Amino acid sequence: MIADRVGLIAIAVVLTVVVAVAYLRLGDRALAKLPWAWNRRLVPWLFLGPAALIAGLALVFPGVSTIILSFFDAKGTTFIGFDNYSSALSDPVTLIALRNTALWVALLPTLAALVGLVIAVLADRVAYGGLVKAALFLPIAVSAVAAGVIWTFMYDYQPPVAAQTGTVNALLTVLTNTDPIAWIIDAATNNYALIAATLWTQAGFAMVIFSAALRSVPDELLEAARLDGASEWQAFRHITLPILVPTVVVVTTTITVIALKAFDIIYVMTNGAYGTDVLSTLMYRELFTARDSGGAGAIATMLMIAVLPIMIYNLRQFRHSGREA
Amino acid sequence: MQKTRSTSAMFGTAVLLLAGCGGSGSDSDAQATDPASNAAREAALEAAGGEELGGSVSMLGLLGGEELDAFLSVLKPFEEATGIEVQYEGTRDFAAVLQTRVEGGNPPDVVETPAIGEMSAFAEEGTLVDLREVLGNDVLDANFSPSLIETASVDGEVFGIFSTVNLGGLIWYDPSTYEGPTDPASWDELQAWAEQAAGDGSTPWCVALESGAASGWPAADFIDEILLRQAGPEFHKRWSDGLEPWTSPEVRAAFETYGETVAEGLVYGGTTTALSTNFAEAATPIYADPPGCSILQQATFMGGIITDSLPDLEPGETLDFFPVPDFDPAFPGIRSISGEIVGMINETEQSVALVKYLASPEAGTLLAGTGRWLSPNLNVEDSVYEDPFLRRASEVLVEAEGTYSLGNSLMPQTTVDAFWKAGLDYTQNPGDLDEILATIEETR
Repeated sequence: MIADRVGLIAIAVVLTVVVAVAYLRLGDRALAKLPWAWNRRLVPWLFLGPAALIAGLALVFPGVSTIILSFFDAKGTTFIGFDNYSSALSDPVTLIALRNTALWVALLPTLAALVGLVIAVLADRVAYGGLVKAALFLPIAVSAVAAGVIWTFMYDYQPPVAAQTGTVNALLTVLTNTDPIAWIIDAATNNYALIAATLWTQAGFAMVIFSAALRSVPDELLEAARLDGASEWQAFRHITLPILVPTVVVVTTTITVIALKAFDIIYVMTNGAYGTDVLSTLMYRELFTARDSGGAGAIATMLMIAVLPIMIYNLRQFRHSGREA
Repeated sequence: MQKTRSTSAMFGTAVLLLAGCGGSGSDSDAQATDPASNAAREAALEAAGGEELGGSVSMLGLLGGEELDAFLSVLKPFEEATGIEVQYEGTRDFAAVLQTRVEGGNPPDVVETPAIGEMSAFAEEGTLVDLREVLGNDVLDANFSPSLIETASVDGEVFGIFSTVNLGGLIWYDPSTYEGPTDPASWDELQAWAEQAAGDGSTPWCVALESGAASGWPAADFIDEILLRQAGPEFHKRWSDGLEPWTSPEVRAAFETYGETVAEGLVYGGTTTALSTNFAEAATPIYADPPGCSILQQATFMGGIITDSLPDLEPGETLDFFPVPDFDPAFPGIRSISGEIVGMINETEQSVALVKYLASPEAGTLLAGTGRWLSPNLNVEDSVYEDPFLRRASEVLVEAEGTYSLGNSLMPQTTVDAFWKAGLDYTQNPGDLDEILATIEETR
């Protein structure tokens, strides 16, 4: 069974390379026979073609059909205009989900950037920095479902009379001598607890990017600043941070998108119970429980619209930094 | 729905927590030559039309862990006799996986699920094969009771045959420490004891509702059972069919009766503990010293789940059950069942052979011998239950005045989901009952 699959993978890898090389070679040769002006015009398309085709099939086509579906009924047969949107927006559960999604978008990128930046800056200054970085980086390798299961155990609640088996409550009760908290059930804490669990999987990513960006801060600038009597904070605030701004933008936009599509951890830990629904858990339920492709399409379209400004801003930043370089 | 849940428990506890617990490999070796396996092999060969068909059949279901091992041991004689390989794929996300594969044109040949209402939606779309034609009237009527056939039918077509059955509404307890009535005449008598015990400073009820994405189902199942036996089977049937509103006084009363078990002081650790404890861990406080609680309401499969994590328990001495007593003298001796059905999507020689085999009394006998489920097959004798709990459960079923399916397994999945969530919300905020019932009513 596994041998079969390894064989298949090997064939696929070889085939992909062969086809790609053949396509470019043959295409290039064919274009070379054309007049120079035509050649100039068509060569970019030769190279863009495959990527454009794949993006069209995997992104544009499903995206457009999702938007179209959102104007149809559950079975996708009758056109019903904006009914899916109006019924979604009038549902109290959608309003809770919108509130929570906003909370995720506000907290997750900010905290991840903050933690990542602080650790990246400080870890370089201590001998055991590598260890700290590794500890923060490792959770990236944990799948979201596994992270959800792990944090379900971490947040485990036992009645005050029993021994606390969840790490968080064990620490809480021992250190502060208060009653344990049902982190993922109590409406006052559950959304923050879920965001914290996701933060655990994302802060490492932010830190790695910041660590790399920190290497690009010229040492001579920092040295000059220190010689001129700048404090460490002033050097960071006025030299390091301005240089890192593009990185901060990349990190926060990437994690904002992750926050917008947060699903797995919530699905595993609460499945949206106790007021923890977000738009993506709602979309999943519409599609797979209610089997309403129209309703799910409407929520997906709303999510897409929410992501759009962030993507546009991000692309602008890329273009901006591209021009600078 | 029981299997959805116990599967997730297996996923959660058996795989992740008790990664080192022993398997049941020795069972399958021992089965190779016993008469039940031989009979099953003959039945399998007959199901395959007398020849070794070979090939394979894909099956999608929810089982995992030790439950899956038990079920696969039932399929083993079939594979040996017919050469057909059964590729069982177990997933917690059954509905999503099935729907995606059906729409993608790559459905499994055979499906097994407790969500009968969901399967009936697939049947109405024409996805499922009519098993009355596959099996024939004689085989179907000879092996299954009319009510089980009716439960898995839509528009006169049989879209599923029951493969496993659980008896609901049992009170599990530890005979060595429990001091309450073991044969109470009525719910009121049991609850009077519970309140007295609470007055004396102990918490009688063990309740645990957490079950991953299906959290809340233990509450929903119990409320379902209470409604069946408190408002009567006729009302319950109308409610299951969606003809009675969730806001009716009978449904309200059923929620409130359930609420008596999770009232402050009566439930172990308070409602927060009930909400946050996985249902598979529900019995753990019974065996603490001193016991944290003493009675747990759950179906037959709970016996296997409890002994999986506490293998030293002795049936009858440190773990036992009695049926939940009558809620209303007007409806005495009523029992609820739930179970999994097997349906067919692709009609191939191999899938037909498998379904015929699963419908046979020989396969039912093997299933009963696993000690995990009751067999739905009418021709499986009570004497084949080696597990003392299952033997007692089959006696309870025989003595019952009437046996009915739980309503929530028959409802559309959106309603079932809302019912589960309502179980959680009501446990957390009993004061909001009107609002909670109105929310479920809106999903219909």
